[in-house]
Amino acid sequence: MFNKTFISLALTTAVSASAMAATEQDVQNTFNPYKNGVPTHQGLSAGMIINQGNVDQFKEIVDPAMYDFIKSGDTEIKVGATSSFDLNNSYVEATRKYMNDVRLGDKVGEISGSVAGRPFPQEPSMDDPRAGEKLAWNFKYGYNWGDSAAIWPFYWTFRDMNSGKAERTLKFNFNFLNFTHRTQQEPAPAITPNPSNLFRATYLQVLEPFDVKNTQLLIQRFEDDLKRDNAYLYLGFQRRVRRLSTGQVTDAFLGSDIMIEDFEGYNGRISDNKWTYKGTRNMLLPMYNHNDMPLDADIHQDDDGYQMISFGGKGGCFQNVTWQLRKVYQLEGEPLDPNHPISKRQHFIDAQTFTIPRTVTYDRNGSIWKSFSIGQAHPDHHLPQNKGSGVSIDDSFTMIDMQAQHCTTGQFKGIIDPELTPESKMTVQNLRASGR
Amino acid sequence: MNKVAAGVAMGVTAMSLGFSTTAVAADTEWAGFVENATYVRDGVGLSKFRNTAQAEFSKQLETDSWDNVSINGTLRATYDGVYDLNSDEFSKDAQANYLGENWHGQDTSTAILAPGTPFPCDNDPQLCNNLDGYMDQSEDDARYPDFNDQLDFIREFYISADKQLDSGTILNLSFGKQQVVWGKTDLFRVLDVINPVDYSRHNIYDELEDIRIPQWMLTAEWRMGPDQVFDDSNFSLVWNIDKFRPSNLGTCGQPYAILDGGCFFASRINGGGPYVINDVVDYDWSLRNSQFGAKWEGVYGDTTFSLNALHYRQQLPSIHALGGPGSNFGLFDIHFPEVNLLGGSIDYYSMDQDAVWRLEVAYTEGEELARDTDGYKETDMLRYVVGFDKNIIIPALGTSSAFLLSTQLFGEHILDHERDMPNKKDNWIATLLFKGFYMNNRLSPQIIIAHDFAAEATAIAPSIDYLINDNWKINAAFNIKEGGKKTFPWSVAGGAAAGGQTEPLARFLNGPIGVANQEDEFQLTLRYSF
Repeated sequence: MFNKTFISLALTTAVSASAMAATEQDVQNTFNPYKNGVPTHQGLSAGMIINQGNVDQFKEIVDPAMYDFIKSGDTEIKVGATSSFDLNNSYVEATRKYMNDVRLGDKVGEISGSVAGRPFPQEPSMDDPRAGEKLAWNFKYGYNWGDSAAIWPFYWTFRDMNSGKAERTLKFNFNFLNFTHRTQQEPAPAITPNPSNLFRATYLQVLEPFDVKNTQLLIQRFEDDLKRDNAYLYLGFQRRVRRLSTGQVTDAFLGSDIMIEDFEGYNGRISDNKWTYKGTRNMLLPMYNHNDMPLDADIHQDDDGYQMISFGGKGGCFQNVTWQLRKVYQLEGEPLDPNHPISKRQHFIDAQTFTIPRTVTYDRNGSIWKSFSIGQAHPDHHLPQNKGSGVSIDDSFTMIDMQAQHCTTGQFKGIIDPELTPESKMTVQNLRASGR
Repeated sequence: MNKVAAGVAMGVTAMSLGFSTTAVAADTEWAGFVENATYVRDGVGLSKFRNTAQAEFSKQLETDSWDNVSINGTLRATYDGVYDLNSDEFSKDAQANYLGENWHGQDTSTAILAPGTPFPCDNDPQLCNNLDGYMDQSEDDARYPDFNDQLDFIREFYISADKQLDSGTILNLSFGKQQVVWGKTDLFRVLDVINPVDYSRHNIYDELEDIRIPQWMLTAEWRMGPDQVFDDSNFSLVWNIDKFRPSNLGTCGQPYAILDGGCFFASRINGGGPYVINDVVDYDWSLRNSQFGAKWEGVYGDTTFSLNALHYRQQLPSIHALGGPGSNFGLFDIHFPEVNLLGGSIDYYSMDQDAVWRLEVAYTEGEELARDTDGYKETDMLRYVVGFDKNIIIPALGTSSAFLLSTQLFGEHILDHERDMPNKKDNWIATLLFKGFYMNNRLSPQIIIAHDFAAEATAIAPSIDYLINDNWKINAAFNIKEGGKKTFPWSVAGGAAAGGQTEPLARFLNGPIGVANQEDEFQLTLRYSF
């Protein structure tokens, strides 16, 4: 009896171990999903418009919120040709180097062996109960913004969707810096000293309007996912740094329709959610070549001649960009905190870049509440200094509160330049120094 | 312009010229606002008709040897029309029936002090001379408070530059007229004592940002960043080279005079007798009289901390009684003694409570407190505050935004306490801020409550902010005070020094809220920002 059990256990272990091992083919597949051709859908072609009249034909390849918008005539989708967003080779190499060292721990939020690169390059399986969690890790340790980047400047406009009135426009600078999991910028793979073992920091400073000018936010995320972020807010008129509690992380940030937790698609801990892999599908995502899009000359002009993505549709709440048919992983995140203001998010993750161009958020009653689109621009068709960076550039966003008929839109100038984000920018002292 | 200010201004200019020999100047950024604040006081009428224009600028310079070089400034021009529009109550002609009329009833049986002379420099040159530059604003000074000999229309003007050191750390130098903020408290200060404060603007209620009196200072910060132990570490030195200025308590005749001090200092014994204030000691500028401090701060895990040391002068007046019953009774000199402060602060984020605790402590040596039977006494003091901040979602209040709950308890402990000191040996003031957000934060109601335990006085200030758009903002508020003892014996020790007389040191027992107990107001502020 004992022997049978032992043999059975040994076999199970061997099977699962072999299922977990990643191969060179997995690396090829995960970073080059369009090597053997781009996805197609019957009746779909680049250049066409999906609108109220024909959206039912394409219901399978749009998410439920976008379907509702198009069906009700709030917006249309202009289809672009699917293109490969090749990630930086350093990230691909790091994936190759460490891929079979990575293990999930017993608890959600525990991981080991992930030094850099995509932790789980294997195709997710519906049979794997932890497939969703692995996708979440692939996003967290993804090449979002690379090792460091800046959005200089970044405009957020609050809009009444019914009247189209722009209520407020906030102008920010944003910075992102990875302390660990670095692959391209020196030092790699980690910045030292790093006594608290930080993974990543996000810093923002409000430049306009006057009433919130000099407000700054610093979020320090730890390598240990079970530890809550250290978040600091500097209020210009108080000239002091306040520690943030998590109540503010799930709050309307500066009155926008966005929570701090929504930044970049999901800006929280893996361990804060129950993750469920809901399947792989081909879907339209707002991914495009920035330089080929209609641009907004009114919001921003500078010496570079750079202009930002323009907005239209109902209330001016929709990006004027083209959408590509792409391979997508659907990932559901359900907050474990019963007091969390939402019941779940449906993330539609781009399989190649592991960015999250589309998220649909549900309220506590299970009704659709918000629709979040983050437009991804190909770095080779953006600012000259971004060319060849292998970073899928966050380039426009709209967060639509479908219940309140209100939206916050974002227009970016994303720059991959380590000079703009020194480590000294990611300190509490910098908040005080910059806020004087 | 005084000599020090002129010298420092030249220094800033020379420093900026030195940088600019190789500098490329970026465009100057400007921002600011114009604002009207109209306050109406119960039973008094208009108490403020303040019109402000404020502009802030920042100019970045690029140099070969320094980084982040910038010249920064804030300019402010204020005209308060209350002296023209309600001159019966607030002006050089505003006469009171008795001292303390605005906060307690009259006890004429043993009246010794005459009511204060409003704006003594307009009305009584001899008294103006006695006050010797302290609490002697003229009516025009109050009408246009930014335009005076200290160039207060320059709220800030400093040059700041970073030097990257070989160790990978950063040295920052900032030089000019500045506010240097060390503390983390609202309404009342514990460590935030480098700049004196202008209480004449609106007592304790204005943002400290608007009422700190900027000083000409040199600051050096060594930003060490993370090391093997701390996530962030920073050592800073501050040298206040300005001529000493005490806090402005508000001159008699102004609508806001904290503790009614301005009228006390502008009163006489027995009407036509000698002035209460015999002399105010003036501290000439000298290196010996400059003020300096050091701070080390950092981040350790979930805790941010600071250790502070400061040598400065007491910013509230130390009143030295010149005599007792029989000789020089009721006459005082005003001093501002030297003080050494040691203190520190801790912010701790509690993951379990999802809340932030703040602790701030300051121990001072050299402060002086008044005594009403034996002059004054130097005593060590301990001040501390415990703060608790939490953000709470309250769906029942109809918003998905979190409400901010911030409470503070300030404590003051007098180490060498004497029975005849008007301040109690231990006293506490509790504050509560509850602020909510609606309409994408454009509509924000809040309530502030402050309670002074010794004075048994409470202030309740509900208000609402409405951001009409990026430019226009309107704020409507009530500010209601309750309590505060109405009468006191002269002697807080309960002795027979002056029978049942109700002045003068009772104001300290009553505290800033109790002394303002008849200043209930409705306040409306309209601001256009650019």
